[in-house]
Amino acid sequence: MEPREVDLDPRQVAMEIDTGGRPDGSLAITRRLFINKAILAGTAAGVASVGWFPVINTLDLAFGQQAAFKFAWLSDTHLYPKDVNTRFVDKTVRAVKEIKAMSPPADFLIFGGDLAQLGDPVEIDLGADILKELTIKKHFIPGEHDWYLDMGAKWERMFGKTPWTFDHNGVRFIGLNTVGFAPDYWSAKKMSPKERMGHMATLDGSVAGPWAGVGDEQRQWLQQTVSGWAKDRPLVVFTHTPLYEYYPPWNFWTRDWREVNEILKPFSNVTNIHGHTHQVLYNELGSMRSIGMLATSWPWPYAPQGVPPLTKPMIRADPGDHFDGVGYSKLTAGAAGRIENEYVMWGRKEVFAESVVDSGTADNVNQILHPRIADRMWPY
Amino acid sequence: MKGKLALAALGAGLLGLLGAGASSLWGPAPALAHKAKHSQEQLDAFQQVLMEQVRLGDLLFHGDADTEKQMNIKLSNTGMACAMCHPFASDSHPHEFPKFQEQMNAFATLRDMINWCIEKPNEGVKIDPDGPAMKALEAYIYWANRGSKLDTGRH
Repeated sequence: MEPREVDLDPRQVAMEIDTGGRPDGSLAITRRLFINKAILAGTAAGVASVGWFPVINTLDLAFGQQAAFKFAWLSDTHLYPKDVNTRFVDKTVRAVKEIKAMSPPADFLIFGGDLAQLGDPVEIDLGADILKELTIKKHFIPGEHDWYLDMGAKWERMFGKTPWTFDHNGVRFIGLNTVGFAPDYWSAKKMSPKERMGHMATLDGSVAGPWAGVGDEQRQWLQQTVSGWAKDRPLVVFTHTPLYEYYPPWNFWTRDWREVNEILKPFSNVTNIHGHTHQVLYNELGSMRSIGMLATSWPWPYAPQGVPPLTKPMIRADPGDHFDGVGYSKLTAGAAGRIENEYVMWGRKEVFAESVVDSGTADNVNQILHPRIADRMWPY
Repeated sequence: MKGKLALAALGAGLLGLLGAGASSLWGPAPALAHKAKHSQEQLDAFQQVLMEQVRLGDLLFHGDADTEKQMNIKLSNTGMACAMCHPFASDSHPHEFPKFQEQMNAFATLRDMINWCIEKPNEGVKIDPDGPAMKALEAYIYWANRGSKLDTGRH
């Protein structure tokens, strides 16, 4: 009846998987002054309420005199078969229609993972069918929900392999797989593929462990891929999970983020764009900025610890409105050498909380949380 | 099977410990409390009663279909489970109830809120507010939030 001893801290387990160990204090989070729209407009209210936090993440990626262009990010659609849930289908369709209507148009789409909820081929086919409406070039990275029913077989047949890279108008874009290298939690327990997937699909479960990681082979590929790139030219790295340590118990991290950061550290303009966390997030790690994207499916609450201090939290979503707190992103690479991220949150003019009472983090100040127990007890 | 046996043994043990075997015209006789120094065995038994409810509530909260079936309830018709918006039961704020709840436009208890979530976002079937499923869900939510500062009425 009593729960077993709590399993190892995910960070301790990750140390055994990778060679890096725990983060140290040498990777300081720096504060940078961003030019945001409110300040540019000179609105006193905007300055007072926003301070030095970015309202729109304006990223000064210096890429010379290349032409401006737009691209779009869509992720975390978590599609079920239509007979289970049409709600998520409706929202994915809406995002695709809106991205298709972007003016000027997006040059390409990044699909950032978790197309499916349980990796079911029906779900992946449904997603592919919806995305067919978009005729612009599409680049895919997987999420854990896409992967652990058949270990990525269907995903790779449909959307190709990762990692990948391409250059576009002076920016090098890189897509990594941070979900496919989980320690084997299923063989010893003789799990069926569905059971394996079920544990992976439970964000606050304790069975799947610290699954988010880049791995040795992919890090070597990354090292080679950036080796010929000038240090002051912009790099944009797409990952499903954040490339820093936010909250390991929910895999709101990538366990070997320190080693990845070592590879990217020499470059002065690195932007990591990630999904998985279903919320507004912003962090800086040396010269790398990370921006968390919205899901179309549902918003996760902010984790009880680890929200980067540079994040200006999103508003508290209305749980009675399934179009609230969710959406996608339009990104613009401007001719002046800046990339702007615009969150499109349906039904909301103000994505960011302007007061404590409406903040997605401030409402949890008196909250202390404890991990679940049922999946650490027999017969799991 | 193993779980049922354990539960049966626990029940029998508790009855013995609490001296609640007798019954009258008005139902089971109340157990006497605090009349003697508590033994560790008693305290362990009390804890086990709680943890069994927490375990059940945890399973329901995470959408365990077998547990729902056994309790003859349907908490969701969207594929969504409570934990998908409330990992570790976060943002469920049991320590803030009762309070005026904006979604209902009414003064609400935690049990009212649980049933609102079942009926509205999850499109499931409301459960008996005093029934075993509600008690288990409430047990898990309180247990997962233990140590939170009591802050009744906070929005």
